Amino acid sequence: MLKTTRETPLLKTLRKYGASIGEFAGWITAMDYGNPLEEHIATRNSVTVFDVSHMGRYLIRGDNLFEFFQKLVTKDLSKFKEGRMSGPVLLLNEDARIIDDIMLYYLSDTEWLAVVNAPNIEKDRAWILKWAKKWGYNITVEDITLSTTLIAIQGPHAPEILESLGVNEAKNLSILEFLRNPSVLGEEAILISRSGWTGEEVRSYGYEIMTTVKNGERVFEAAVEAGAKPAGLIARDSLRLEMGYPLIGVDIGNNTNPIEARYWMALSLKKEGFLGEEALRRIYEEGVRRFRVAFKLKKGVRRIPRHGNSILINNRIVGRVTSGAYSPTLGRSIGMGYIEATHLYIGFKVAVDIRGKSYEAKILDFPLI
Amino acid sequence: MSAEDILVKTKLGEYIIKRGLLYTESDEWIKVQNNIVTLGITDYAQKKLKYIVNVELPEPGTTVNAGESIVTLESVKSVADAYSPCSGEVLEVNEELYDTPDLINKDPYGAGWLVKIKPTEPVDKGRFLSPEAYAEKIRKKEG
Repeated sequence: MLKTTRETPLLKTLRKYGASIGEFAGWITAMDYGNPLEEHIATRNSVTVFDVSHMGRYLIRGDNLFEFFQKLVTKDLSKFKEGRMSGPVLLLNEDARIIDDIMLYYLSDTEWLAVVNAPNIEKDRAWILKWAKKWGYNITVEDITLSTTLIAIQGPHAPEILESLGVNEAKNLSILEFLRNPSVLGEEAILISRSGWTGEEVRSYGYEIMTTVKNGERVFEAAVEAGAKPAGLIARDSLRLEMGYPLIGVDIGNNTNPIEARYWMALSLKKEGFLGEEALRRIYEEGVRRFRVAFKLKKGVRRIPRHGNSILINNRIVGRVTSGAYSPTLGRSIGMGYIEATHLYIGFKVAVDIRGKSYEAKILDFPLI
Repeated sequence: MSAEDILVKTKLGEYIIKRGLLYTESDEWIKVQNNIVTLGITDYAQKKLKYIVNVELPEPGTTVNAGESIVTLESVKSVADAYSPCSGEVLEVNEELYDTPDLINKDPYGAGWLVKIKPTEPVDKGRFLSPEAYAEKIRKKEG
């Protein structure tokens, strides 16, 4: 398969602030700005600004969007209305395996917006169009990823940054609410929402600004000047891990179903008539063999658990690590993985094998902080 | 960076290559002085690894073989090994790295050195890359 790499439209701006550049899901973007642990802490205690333009963005237009998406995604959208986001919602295949977790934005009755994960930009678009065709909906999907930017401002001091960007009215948005076409630094942006994927969107404040490339450059710079610390994808990863948010292709994907992943916030089992429903109900009834859990290591252990490491009880493998990181908030290594349903010892101890050495770990529920 | 150092610029970053050192295919640098070999990782290597949070060093006095993994570096992103450039005995390790492993990020050719080795035989400098050859290798790799 041809491998293409794309650059975030803000790359030049990020470089000005000392971004350490790397590749994520085929995108060249900022991994950190010198010290990702400090960026993590600043998000929890102060405020940071992330370029998340690598996330896919589509404008979806059609006459029966509500009806179509109600059939396509897991979550019940019957209360979804203009000016609100819904998500994460899951795209499932017929076997109830996870295609992607995405965010939906209700712009108008005939126009919605979707933010999808970077590795799935082409796949999700094809998936939406395939089912629209199959079910007879006249729907168009316009990919606006490369012509727009998405900037996340996250942390307890985020409202002050909004003030300096001249969008005071956005400070009072409730979670998953957005303003359409707000004036940001005197220019019309696409939207500003109360959202994020760091945990601060629920713990304190998190906002995301979707705008043009030109305005995005100005927004990023103005946010830094107003005191937001630039932060990269490494901090974003440790932040979401502390919250227990799964990452597509790593913690969830086409080998997992949402029940074993315990992705409850993306499910509504009361809802009827969606893709993958039959398989999902069967799984729900029959039960699963493993569950996604969080765990933490003891303080002082310097090694970080990595994808694929074994989770053991008396030398018997009972699970696998899917993600790990050093948590600056807890001052120790943490992780996420799947453990056999028969050994779901939440609050109790297991071992994690990291590069041939066994470390005591405590199995926990999400979030870790 | 001093004036005579080489700066390699690619689409992914800028990397300093110091003159007066020798380089390996596995992105380490060595300095041979008074028949003692100092080993570290290059600016390119630390920039690829990203922020380093954990370093595992050998015990001084350990006998090591050329090509053997003697140091494990763990960053927020991944894990990498540094290999012994020669056979010999570990004389000294950089203990500062236990508390401040990010010295490797801040000063890979200076305060971020890893180990000092007393080689069994005089080091064959021809087995290593010159600064120019190492710069060329990175340019080729990253375009």
